[in-house]
Amino acid sequence: MDLNILAGALLLAFAAITGGIGNALVFSRYLDGVVRQPEVQRTLFAQTFIGIALVEALPIIAVAFGIMLVLGII
Amino acid sequence: MNLRQMEKTPKIGFELAGIPIQFDVTVMFTTIVTCALVLILAIAAARRRSLVPKGLQNAVEMLIEFTQGIVRSNLEGKTAERFYGFAFTLFLFIFIANQLGLMFNVVAEYHDPIPSLHIEAVHEEGHEAGGGEEHNAYAWWKSPTADINVTISMALAITLVAHFLGIRKSAKHYVSHYFQPYWWMFPIHLVDEVAKPVTHGMRLWANIFAGEILIMVLLRGSWYLTGAPLIVWLAYSVLVGLIQAYVFTVLAMVYMAQKIAYD
Repeated sequence: MDLNILAGALLLAFAAITGGIGNALVFSRYLDGVVRQPEVQRTLFAQTFIGIALVEALPIIAVAFGIMLVLGII
Repeated sequence: MNLRQMEKTPKIGFELAGIPIQFDVTVMFTTIVTCALVLILAIAAARRRSLVPKGLQNAVEMLIEFTQGIVRSNLEGKTAERFYGFAFTLFLFIFIANQLGLMFNVVAEYHDPIPSLHIEAVHEEGHEAGGGEEHNAYAWWKSPTADINVTISMALAITLVAHFLGIRKSAKHYVSHYFQPYWWMFPIHLVDEVAKPVTHGMRLWANIFAGEILIMVLLRGSWYLTGAPLIVWLAYSVLVGLIQAYVFTVLAMVYMAQKIAYD
């Protein structure tokens, strides 16, 4: 039981770290692009959020399983 | 309220050859509510149409053009037209389903067990948290997309349709594309085909599920401490619901286009 909570906490921590790094990479490139060509900001914004949603998929799945482990649902 | 009890929902079910089959009453109910809301929205927008759209009709027409753009960026010409309605319905259903759990929450507490709904009496383990918690809380309202069964079955249905369309268009090409560009890439293709529906469904579920849990956690804190984060997170959740509906629709169209769009 205690190990389950530890596993859940580790899942949450790594999801936070990896998700943060991944989102930062996507968003920094978005800002680079907007600085270079401000007129494409509209299209880039939508594309960026698709990218963020795709990048965040695995971290958010890890978060869901981490929450379930910590709360003892699974 | 114990956080652990938040995920409990009333269920109806039966046993088929020793295997228990259970249906989640809450999810079925909220799914029907979502369907009804989508239908009402569509009918309300289509009533008294005018050539110069305004109000609700304008908003829904914008949404239709938006989803048509998603389809057109993946498929072309006559094939794309067949998917306009599907993409619009999918987008609207998931968007409204994502927002349902944000508005309010219905939790009923039971002191007596109701066997037909699989509502149990108080367990021994429920006592250890605090002295006063003698009840069992069951959620009667949540986003249907916060249930993994709903999202996985939607993703699975889309994958099945994609494979079916691919086989119907050209069985020869369907089989041969598993061996492209090299024959030894076949195992990689197999893993890809399994991973696609799983991540497709889990992405939507995990986003909405984690969001609802965080709302629950913030609601438990004192208003002075977690009030501001709660409002921020609620606003962000609306955005997350929109983005996830968009991504789910885009990916559904991409997966179908992978099977049928080639020359």
